[in-house]
Amino acid sequence: MPLEVQGTFVSQKISKIRWIAEDYVETKCFFTGSWDDDQNSIKVWTLESPHEEEEVEYPRQLSEYLVDGDVTQIKFTEKNKIAVSLSNGDVRVLEVSLYDKQFPLKEVFHWKKLHNYGAEQCSCTSLDTLEGDIATIGEDGNVNILSGRRGEVMHTIKGADSCSLHSICFIKHTEVITGNVRGHMKIWDVRSTNNKPSAAFLLAGDELAATCIIHHPTQPHIILAGSESGALAVWDLRMNSFPTSLVNAHSAGVSEMQFHPENPHKLLTCSVSGELWEWNMEAMTKSSKGPDGQVMWMPLQDKKSMMVNSLIPALHKSINSLHCDKGRILCGADNEAIYLIKNFKY
Amino acid sequence: MNTSSFAVDSSRGKTVDAAKTFVLPDKCFQKHVGCAWGRGNKFTIYPRSQTVNKTPTDTADNKLLNIKQDILLFTPILRKLVNESNGTYLSLQKAAEAAKVSDNQVEFLKLSRQFRSIIRVCLENLQEAAAKAEGIEKNNLLSYITIFYSIECIWHLCEILYIDNIPGDIVLPYLLEWVRFHFPCHEQTAAQLLGACERGSEDHEDYWDTVVGMVVQGRVDVARALLKLHSAGESNEFKLVDNSLRSMPVYSVYGGISTGEFTISWKHWQAECRSKLSSRVLASQPKLELIMKIIMGDYSAFESIRSKYSSWFDILGGWVMFTAPWSRRHELGAAAAACAGMQATGRSHLDDMVRALLEGDLHQVIHEIQQISDNGWFATHLTDILFHCGKLTIMDKHQTNVTSRLRDSLILEYGCLLMEHKSLWSVGLSYLASCPPEGLRRAELILERMPVDTEAKAMKIIAEAKKYELIGVAQSVCRCMCARHLSAGRAGGALCWAMRGRSSAASSRAAHAALAHYTQHAVLPAQDLLLTAGSAMLLSDTLLFLGKYCDFHRLYKTREFKKAAQLLVSLITSKIAPEYFWETLLLDTLPLLESDEPVFTSNDTYEIMLCLELRSSSLDGEKADLLRLALARNLARTALAEGDGTEEGAQ
Repeated sequence: MPLEVQGTFVSQKISKIRWIAEDYVETKCFFTGSWDDDQNSIKVWTLESPHEEEEVEYPRQLSEYLVDGDVTQIKFTEKNKIAVSLSNGDVRVLEVSLYDKQFPLKEVFHWKKLHNYGAEQCSCTSLDTLEGDIATIGEDGNVNILSGRRGEVMHTIKGADSCSLHSICFIKHTEVITGNVRGHMKIWDVRSTNNKPSAAFLLAGDELAATCIIHHPTQPHIILAGSESGALAVWDLRMNSFPTSLVNAHSAGVSEMQFHPENPHKLLTCSVSGELWEWNMEAMTKSSKGPDGQVMWMPLQDKKSMMVNSLIPALHKSINSLHCDKGRILCGADNEAIYLIKNFKY
Repeated sequence: MNTSSFAVDSSRGKTVDAAKTFVLPDKCFQKHVGCAWGRGNKFTIYPRSQTVNKTPTDTADNKLLNIKQDILLFTPILRKLVNESNGTYLSLQKAAEAAKVSDNQVEFLKLSRQFRSIIRVCLENLQEAAAKAEGIEKNNLLSYITIFYSIECIWHLCEILYIDNIPGDIVLPYLLEWVRFHFPCHEQTAAQLLGACERGSEDHEDYWDTVVGMVVQGRVDVARALLKLHSAGESNEFKLVDNSLRSMPVYSVYGGISTGEFTISWKHWQAECRSKLSSRVLASQPKLELIMKIIMGDYSAFESIRSKYSSWFDILGGWVMFTAPWSRRHELGAAAAACAGMQATGRSHLDDMVRALLEGDLHQVIHEIQQISDNGWFATHLTDILFHCGKLTIMDKHQTNVTSRLRDSLILEYGCLLMEHKSLWSVGLSYLASCPPEGLRRAELILERMPVDTEAKAMKIIAEAKKYELIGVAQSVCRCMCARHLSAGRAGGALCWAMRGRSSAASSRAAHAALAHYTQHAVLPAQDLLLTAGSAMLLSDTLLFLGKYCDFHRLYKTREFKKAAQLLVSLITSKIAPEYFWETLLLDTLPLLESDEPVFTSNDTYEIMLCLELRSSSLDGEKADLLRLALARNLARTALAEGDGTEEGAQ
C-alpha cells in the first residue's frame, strides 16, 4: 500500500508528540505538547473514524492538561507515565489512566523550578528517561538525575556546562551524555562527585547546538547527534572522541531522531526545514567486521550511499517532533498541525 | 493590570473613515488620560495627573487599561484556517514563480480550489462549534459563519469568472453550478417528491414552487420528472410544456455548431413557445403558463417569482439560461442588473460584491471585500491569486498601474497583523517575506522587538531570520541574549552568544566581564568553552587575551611550567591586557619565578621588570617590592646559567 499522509490542524504549535503504547492492540492514542502559545498544554488524542464505514481516522482530543511555559520534552518513564520538561524550569511526571484515556491526566510528581538562575526563571530544555530514572538539563547548565518512582532528586551536577545544555541521552544507568548550545558534548558518570566529565568532545567545528542525541537500540556504544546546522554525527564511544562520521543532512537543524523500534536499521529524522527523512542504516553496519569480530561502523561519506528517502513533501514550517510505531509515524509541526503517516514500510 | 476588550459601537455606518467610539467601562478615568502605543495594534491608557504634588485620593484612578483590537483570526477555529491557508499561499507563490517561464493556469485553479476547500472545512468546524455553543459565543460563531459563507460564495464566483479556464468562455454551466451550490432551494423537496414517486404530488404545498425552482436553476430534467408526477401529468397541457422543455436547444462549445446557428434554432424554439402561449391552450393551467413564460425569458414572469427567493442570485442562472445562454464571462453585467432590479429591496453587502464581480469591476470588488470583518484574510488571498493569474489590473487616478502595490499593501497589512500573535508570528513572517523589499524591512523591525523567553525561541527566530537572509536580525537576537546573560553575571552564556552573533563589541564586553570576575573571585568562568572555542576567539583582542589566559591556567595546572611561563610572558609583552588585569598578570609570575627550576629566561625577566616599572601604579608597594625581589633573584640565577652560554656564543 502506498504511503498515506494525513494532516490535522490543531491551533497550537506542537513541540512534542508521542504514541501511547498499547498491549495486544494497535496504538490509537497519543500525547502532544505545545509551545510558543499564550497558554500551552499537554493533550491526549485518539484516532477515530467519524463515520463507521469510512477508513479515514481523524484525531479527536480526549483531555487537556494546561501548563505554564512551553513543553520542551516528553518521555515515558513507565508505560502510562510521562516525564515532561517545561520552559519555566519545572519537571512533572504525569499519569494517563490505562482504562479511560478520556480521564484527565494525573500529576504524580512535580519539581518546581528544578532548573533556575536563582530567582530568575530558566528553561528546562530536555530530559531523558531510563527505567524510571529521569535525567534533566537546563539553560543553567545543570544536570539533575531524578527518580521517577520515588520522586526525589538523586544527584545534581552543578555547572556541568558554562553554557546552556540542549540535549541529553542516557548511555547506561550510570552514564549520560549531554550536548550544549555550542555542540560541546560531555559524558558524565552520575556516580562521581567531582563534577568533571569523563570525556568531552565537539560535535562539529561550526559551534552550533547539539539539538538531539540518541543511541543505537542494539549497539548502545553508538551515539548519534543532530546539529542545529542540520548535520548528523555518529560516534563509536569505544574508539575515540572524534565522530566516526559527520554527514551534512538537512538544510536546517535536526529537531528529532528515532530509530524504528522494530528495525534498528531504519532511522527517522525531522528538521526545522520541514523535512521528514527515512535513513537506511544497514549499509553502515554490514560493510565489514573488525579484527576482533565485532561489527564496525563504517565512516559515512555522503548521504547518497546511505539511502535516504524523504517521506513527505517538505513543509513550509519546522517539523519539531516525530514518533514512530510500527508502520505509522506521527509528526508535530510549527504550522500548528499534526501529521499521521500510515503504511510506512520498515 | 486590567485587560479589557470592547465591542465595536453597534451603529456601524456605511462611512468607512469615520472614527469609532468606544465607551470605557465604569467611567474609570474622570479626567486627564494619557495614552501610549505598545507592540502591534495595542495601546495603554493611564491616568495622568496634571497637578504634580497632589496625592491621589481617588483609587479608581490607579488603573492601567490595555486596549487591543479583538482579532477574529486569533480564535482557535480560525487559527486552523490561517495556518492551512498559509501553506496554500506559499505553494501559490512557488507556482507563480514557475509561471514566469511557463503557463501555469491549471496549477492556479488547483490552488484556488484548495483555498475553497479550506474555507469549507472552516465552515464545517464553525458549524460544529456553533451547535455546541450557547449565548454570546453562539451568536459570535453564527456571525462568523455568515462571514465565511459569503467569502466562499464570492471566491467561487471569482474562480469561475477569472481563474478557471472555461472552454469558449461560455459561462452558463458554471454559473448554474454556482447558483445550485450556494443557493440550494427546493432541492430537498424535489428529492423527496421524486423519491416517493407518487402521482398527485401537487398536493404537496411546495409542489409548484419546487417545479418552478428547478426550472429557474436550470434543472430541466428534474422539472420534467416532477411534472410527470402531477395527477394531470398525462393531459395535453402538460405534454405541451414537457415537449417545449425537452426540445429546448442547449448550447455547447463542443456541439459543433456556431453561435449564429445556435441563435437561429434558439429563436425558432422561442417563437414556437410563444405561439403555444398565445394560442391560450394553457389558460386553464396558470402555473404551466408561468413556466412557459420563464423559459421564454419573460421579464415580468421572473419579476413575479422574485419575491419567493431571498436574493436575486437564485434567479440569475435561470435568467441567463433563458435569455442569453451563449453569454461569455464578461457579458454578465446586464443580466446582473436585470435580476437585481426586479425587486427594490435594501441592498446587502453581498449584493454589491456580486454585482461588482459580474460587471467585471475588480477594483470595486476588492474595495468591498475589504469591508468584510475577517481581518483582511479574504482580501489578501483573493487579490494575491488574481494578481498571479494576471487578471487584475487596477489603475489609480493618474492611470498608473498600481496592481502590485495594492497586492503588496494587503499582504503587508495581513502579515503584520499575524506577527502580533505569540504563536502565529512565523506565519506572518512568511507573508512579509513574500513581498520584498518592504516586507523584509518590516519583518526586521518586528522580529527585533519580539519577546524572547527561552533560547529555544531565540534559536527559532534566528533560523527563520537566516531563512530569509535577515542576518541583522540573527545578530541582534544574539547580542540581546548576550546582554541578558551578561547583566545576570553568567559569563559562559554571554561569551557563547557573543561568539554566535560574531559580534566583536559584545564578545569584548563578555570577555571583560569574565576577566573582572576572575580578579574578584579568583575563579575563571567558562573554562570549558574557552578551551574549545575555535576561530571565534579572534573576534576581539580581549576575547583572545581571555582565551590565552585560560590556556595559561590549563598549562599551569598540568604542571607544564615552561610553556606556561612562555605564554605568560607573551601575554605581558603583547600589551593587550586590560588595565585592571595587570596586577593579576604580574602577580601570576610570582610562583613561576619562585619555582625550583628557573622557567623564565633573563630576557623574560627583563621584560617583566620593564612592565612592572611602567605600571607600578597597578600594584601596591608591598606586592611590588615582593615581585621586584623575586625578579632580581630569578635574574641572578638565570643570568649566571645563561651568562656562560651567551658569552661563549659571542666569542
